Order: sequence, then C-alpha cells, then structure tokens
Amino acid sequence: MPNYMLLLHGDPTTYKTMSPEEGQKALQKFLAWRERLRSQKILVGSAKLKDEAGKVIRGSSQPRVTDGPYSETKEVVGGYFTIEAQNYDAALAHCRDCPHLEYGGTIEVREVEPVPGT
Amino acid sequence: MSAASHPQLSNELVDHLFRNRAGQMVAYLTRVLGAEHLDIAEEAVQEALLKALQTWPYNGVPDNPAGWLFRVARNAALDVLRHRKLVSQKTAEFVATAEMGSSAGSSGDSDFEEKLRDDELRMVLMCCHPVLSQDARVALSLKTVGGFSAREIAKAFLSEETAIAQRLVRAKRQMREEGIGLELPSGKELAQRLDSALEVVYLMFNEGYAAQSGPELFRKDLCDEALRLAQLLADSSVGTPQAHALVALLAFQAARLPARVDSQGEMVLLEEQDRGLWDQALLALGFRHFGLSAEGEEISPYHLQAAIAAIHASASSEADTDWEHMLQLYDELMEVGPSPVVALNRAVVVVKVKGIADGLAELRSLAEEKSLRNYYLLPAAEASLLLQMGERDEAARLFREALKRPCSEPEKRLLVRRWAECEAIAPCFY
Repeated sequence: MPNYMLLLHGDPTTYKTMSPEEGQKALQKFLAWRERLRSQKILVGSAKLKDEAGKVIRGSSQPRVTDGPYSETKEVVGGYFTIEAQNYDAALAHCRDCPHLEYGGTIEVREVEPVPGT
Repeated sequence: MSAASHPQLSNELVDHLFRNRAGQMVAYLTRVLGAEHLDIAEEAVQEALLKALQTWPYNGVPDNPAGWLFRVARNAALDVLRHRKLVSQKTAEFVATAEMGSSAGSSGDSDFEEKLRDDELRMVLMCCHPVLSQDARVALSLKTVGGFSAREIAKAFLSEETAIAQRLVRAKRQMREEGIGLELPSGKELAQRLDSALEVVYLMFNEGYAAQSGPELFRKDLCDEALRLAQLLADSSVGTPQAHALVALLAFQAARLPARVDSQGEMVLLEEQDRGLWDQALLALGFRHFGLSAEGEEISPYHLQAAIAAIHASASSEADTDWEHMLQLYDELMEVGPSPVVALNRAVVVVKVKGIADGLAELRSLAEEKSLRNYYLLPAAEASLLLQMGERDEAARLFREALKRPCSEPEKRLLVRRWAECEAIAPCFY
C-alpha cells in the first residue's frame, strides 16, 4: 500500500498560552487520533521537529547558508506522520479528525514515491 | 513496552495528569528553589507541559509520564537559573534530588509521593496566608496549586483576565516583601492558616456549585479542585475534625451534581432529582469523613452544614427527609455561623416543618438584607410559595424580579418556566 507523509505546518506559539486544563484536552485529542492510526495498523512513523526555522543551505562550490525556509512567518513544520493509505482521498480522510486542524494548523499531504521494482 | 501500547492504560494515566501534577510540580520546585522563585517554578512547569503536549502526539506517551514531566520541569528550571546566573547551591540541591524526581508517579516511590503531598500542603497554606486579601488567596490557590490560568479564574469569578493577572502579580510581590515562605507555622498561627485555607476551599466550591453566570449551572472543574484540596488538608498531618467536616460537606454536595441537570442541560430541583444518579462513591467518601469529623469537641459551621447535607444524602425521597432534625441543625447553624443565606435556606425548611405561612414570614423578614440584594434565590423562593398559594400576580412579579439578578443560563430558563406557570390561564378549546 502507498505511504503518505503528513507534514504538520503551524504556529508553534498556539499551545504556549494554554492552561494545564486546556493543554490536557488538546493532548487527549492528539493521543486519541494517534491511537486510531496505530490500532488500524497504518501508522508507519512519526517525529517531532524542533520549533525553529532551521537552516537552508544552497550552492555547491561556496554553499550559502540562511535561516529558513520560513524565517519571515511564524509557521514551521512542527513534525510529520507517515501513514499507509490506498490513495490521496483515503489519506486526507485520515487527516480530517486530526486536532492539528482544529488548533489552526495546516497539513500538507504528500505521497511517498515507491521504490521501483518492489 | 511503552504505556502508549496500552491505549486504556495511557488514557487513564494521562487523564488528569496535567491538572493534578501541575500544582505538585510547582510546589516541589518552589521548595527546592525557595519561595522567592515561585515564578521560575511556574514557568518551568508550564514549559514541561508544553513539551509534553508538543512531543507526545508524535512519540507516544512515555512509560512514566509523571516522572517525565518532573524531569523536564526540573531541567527547564535549571536552564532559567543558569540563564539568570543564579547557579549556586540551588543547583547542587537540584542534582541531589534529580533521581527522586525521575521516579515520581511510579508505584515504587511512595516516599517521594508523600513528600510531594507535603510540598503541596505547604503551598496551599502559603497561598492562604492571612496577610493576603481573600480574593488574592483564592486566585493564588487556583493558579499555583490548581493549575488554573488567569483566564480560567477570571471566567469563574466574573472578572477580567487582566484584573486577575494583576491580582496575582500583586499577591506574589506581597509574599516576597513579607517574606512569606513554605515554612509551616505552629500553634495558633497554624490554626489560623488552616482556617483561612478551609475558607478558600469553601469559597472555591461554592463558586463552582452555583456559577453566577454563563451557560453552565455549575463548574465541575472548580468543585473537583476544591474537593481535592479539602481532602489534601484533611488527610495531612495538620488535618482537623473541621477539615474532615468540610470534605464531608463538599463530597455530599458534589455527589448530587450529576442529578442537578438533565440530558438537555436543564436544571432539576432537589425534589425532582433522580436520586439514583447521585454519585455513590462521593456519598461514601462524605460519610467516611463525616465520621472522622466527629472526633473532638468543637462543632463548627462546617459540621452543621455537613450534617444537613448528610440528611439529604441519606433520604430516599423528598418525603422521607427528616425535616425536623434539619430545622434543629439550621437553628444551631444560625447560632454558630449566622448569615442571610443560611437564614434563607432555613426559611425553606421552615415551610416543610411549619407550613407556608411561617416560611413566607421568615423569607419576608430578609427583604432588607443588603447582601441578598443581588441574590436571585430570595425573590424566587418567595415566588414559589406564592404560586403554591395561588397568588399568581405577585408570584409573577417576583419571578420577574429574580430574573433581573445574576444567575446561570439554566437557572434563568427555569425562572422563565416558573414565571410562565404564573401567567398560564385555563387552556381554551376551539
């Protein structure tokens, strides 16, 4: 089955102002969503990326390093999930109840190119 | 095997983790850092909760969530200390306690859990120091021990978030200036501090039990937190029969909450409540602490109120209620802790024992009470009696008066329904 990468874009300060109670509620929603993917055995992998702009390097002889790629905006890719799904529609369906959307984030969905011949 | 591989277990573990552990972690860090660094402790705990919220969705719940939070909070505090160049013997103490903190929440470390309860107790008693205003004590307790945000406190007390934030800043400054710390006082001062803490808890619960506005009839989070703090105080080394009486009172009241609203969110009065919905575990907790409150000589207002609540709790119906005994208890309460609100409640019991006319006279004697001027239950209670007597016009006027006073949305809707009953005329058949 094809793999899809879900890239969670968002403003990392969203969660900063939450009280313990609000944070607890948000966490529970995320854990329930994650648990659904896990119990359906479609969660391939996931990782949190640090909430910072990171670095971009370009050029080969004298590579230029800049902050970025989102240094002008507050948005960063907060992390990713890789899931198995039949097609884009199915992958998107799994995103619909992701609490990240409820908290104002966006999810970029990309199909992973399969290794040819396997 | 990680906790996340047991969905049920991880949900249970995480359910109240933040709220329950936030106050403990602040208390623990404040003890280690010193009361003057309460802000650093709060900041560090906030940081740890944020980290959990941001990483657990991706990595799953760690094996020992509470230990994880303690470790991260401690490291965050250490970072702030280093940043502010406050490193000294504090850091050394930190390192020394590092191992203890990591095992928080695991079953093997009951000593550390015991120490945490002690830290929390000291924190409550610090927040309830008599030099602070009562408003400040309540706000501070909710913030530092209960983990409520300024926004949540403002919502509960019909105040502005900025006003609450300022109140907290002022209270903390006052604590620093007066050198109020986590040391437990002794003798008379300890008794004073405990009284103040019980009062704060009582106010907190009342606010939760009868929300003064808003869509909900009551605020369960406030009730839960007040009951938790009452238990913490009663079960601690400084617990008194009075503290047990307060736990009993709050547990009896909290037990009835599930029956106070129906499935549509409408308010259900005591006489119409399905008593099968009363929380049996809370009733049992109430009776257990009621028993413990009987030690000692003193009969405090909490004892009497708990005894009144116990009569309701043990009655199988409105008719089965021992109203005469209850009236005696109200008479005693009017001697040891009189207040216009107690007098109002007593008047309702007078109706049950002596009849409408006597009860009505008692209610009317309260009409000039300043503190009841904004209390909707006074005109509402009088209106109910008048409606029973068939005096519809006057009843309608009083229900309208009650509607002008602050109350929650479900209470408003109940008042409107009762008002409509007064206006109701014989149905016409065309």
